Amino acid sequence: MSSFDALLAGFGNALQPVTLMWGFVGCFVGTLVGVLPGIGPALTIALLLPLTYHVPATSMFVMFAGIYYGAAYGGSTTSILIKTPGEASSMMTALEGNKMARRGRAGQALATAAIGSFVAGTIGTLALTFFAPMVVEAALAFGPAEYFSLMVLSVVAVSAVLGNSMLRGLIALTVGALLGLIGIDLQTGQPRFTFGQAALLDGIEVTVAAVGIFAVGEALYLAWQGRESKAGEVMKVSGSLWMSKSDWARSWKAWFRGAFYGFPIGAMPAGGAELPTLLSYYTEKKLSKHPEEFGHGAIEGVAGPEAANNAAAAGVLMPLLTLGIPTSATAAIMLSAFEGYGIQTGPQLFASQGSLVWTLIASLYIGNVILLILNLPLVGLWVKLLKIPPPWLYAGIIVISTAGVYGAGNSVFNVGLLFFFGLMGYAMRRFDFPAAPLIVGLILAPMAEQSMRQALTISMGDWSTFVTRPLSASLIGIAALLLVVPALLRKRNHKPSA
Amino acid sequence: MKPVHIAFALAALFGVAAWQVAVIPESLMQMAVGPSLVPAAVVAALGVLALLYGISAVRGRQVDESHAEDQSALPGARTRLLSLLAGGVAFMALIGPLGFIVPGTLCGMGVARAFDAPLGLKSLAICAAIATSFWLLFAVLLGVGLGPGLPWFF
Repeated sequence: MSSFDALLAGFGNALQPVTLMWGFVGCFVGTLVGVLPGIGPALTIALLLPLTYHVPATSMFVMFAGIYYGAAYGGSTTSILIKTPGEASSMMTALEGNKMARRGRAGQALATAAIGSFVAGTIGTLALTFFAPMVVEAALAFGPAEYFSLMVLSVVAVSAVLGNSMLRGLIALTVGALLGLIGIDLQTGQPRFTFGQAALLDGIEVTVAAVGIFAVGEALYLAWQGRESKAGEVMKVSGSLWMSKSDWARSWKAWFRGAFYGFPIGAMPAGGAELPTLLSYYTEKKLSKHPEEFGHGAIEGVAGPEAANNAAAAGVLMPLLTLGIPTSATAAIMLSAFEGYGIQTGPQLFASQGSLVWTLIASLYIGNVILLILNLPLVGLWVKLLKIPPPWLYAGIIVISTAGVYGAGNSVFNVGLLFFFGLMGYAMRRFDFPAAPLIVGLILAPMAEQSMRQALTISMGDWSTFVTRPLSASLIGIAALLLVVPALLRKRNHKPSA
Repeated sequence: MKPVHIAFALAALFGVAAWQVAVIPESLMQMAVGPSLVPAAVVAALGVLALLYGISAVRGRQVDESHAEDQSALPGARTRLLSLLAGGVAFMALIGPLGFIVPGTLCGMGVARAFDAPLGLKSLAICAAIATSFWLLFAVLLGVGLGPGLPWFF
């Protein structure tokens, strides 16, 4: 079956009323968590993981995809109306969008963000549709050695390139890897890092670590600061939501350019959404006929970065669906959801779970339309949500987090771990350790160990297998460069000029 | 708390993890890589990174957000942190005997207190409503095993 036929079959499934309903729920919940400061898609999906035991896999992943895309849409509303970017990738939207809102053009800022997100999300999904099968074909040649090297590249990239400090990123990664190795060794049955506790034999649940670090850690940090006790100033949505002819003319090119930055960079192991949004912003500033408006509310400064952000969200799904490699915290949680269903990820996913994957991709197209419809007419509702006083908002977040973790296994021990990870998340936030490498390390360390041991079994214990196989050697080489080059560049830049 | 304390915590983690690697039982199975090689490598990496972080922290090169102007904590930070954690402890202590709703309410009140909401009837009513809604949504509608809401009634 060609990709196109498979996609059509996916649309057939995604348009079934029940699947459509889950997609709608996902988009609604996603927009809601995107709008509310303090909750992100990774946390929401982690909280909903206990439901995986009750809902069919296809419906659940369609909902997760809706949450993922919806959060990217919803984040723009918060950025524009209260200048609080939920994630670093919304920073540029907050900068220009809030200035537009202060000049009475909140409606147009929200409109260009929503339409740009739709355009870029659709372009990103199109690219995912047509490039994913190619990546899968190439990846089918991967053996355990290549997989190990690819995972090394991914974790190095996520830790060394993202965040403000390579050292802190690598420490977060190592601690995550250590946590990932807790429990029974699958090959020999020996317990590791369990302190003789039976509760640790099954290892650390990704959900517990993610919810603890993102939800409890964030709440502890904000409580420590003591600056969140009152809801912030929410700008009124003044003016029409309709864009003028001039707004359209200034926005459409920025949407397309943003999409073309977002997807490829988002699909790279360390791409993320921050870099494409920054690139898009500065490109628009350079190309604009009104550069003087930048910093004071230029519509291109909202259109481009928002488009880049949403296209990057589609890009992140590429390595997840084709290689089983998560390159962001949200993707890592989605990978753990696949594991929860007993679904083997990697290139074989398209063959073994083709119907699920193509339904998921089809639901991304449908989700984009739902989100466009949901976002603008319901903006009044989102504004009301922003006015929830923080004490009740965070009480709700922590109670739902505790309920989600307790509900997964009725384990008080896991609730204790949740608060332990919360304290860890607080310390990480305060001392600027990035969270994504820890979560990615937690998930990838046992997988990488498994691949490494398989590769060494095949090579009869010959370690050179990782550098004598060309593809594996290239991946290891790139990982080494990512570790060494930024440090060398920093050293060169710090050298005093003669 | 300062970055140097984080360096000590990392060093302690390294020490505990190294001890745990030492007690991993050797497998009797014949294989290229045993169960302790990767843990040992990860722990060794942690040791090196903790040392580098410690040196950097002593030299004052590591970040502490409490020194940043717009990020520093307002007075009462410790009390607020303890309020939030007390909510969690109340949940853990009471979920067994009292079902979900009462511990959920107390947990919510601890969190709300941490965000400067006074402990009073309003907080009790709102947090009880939050806990009850989540119990109804998760346990009754979606079938997630949260146990009884109130063991005496439902």
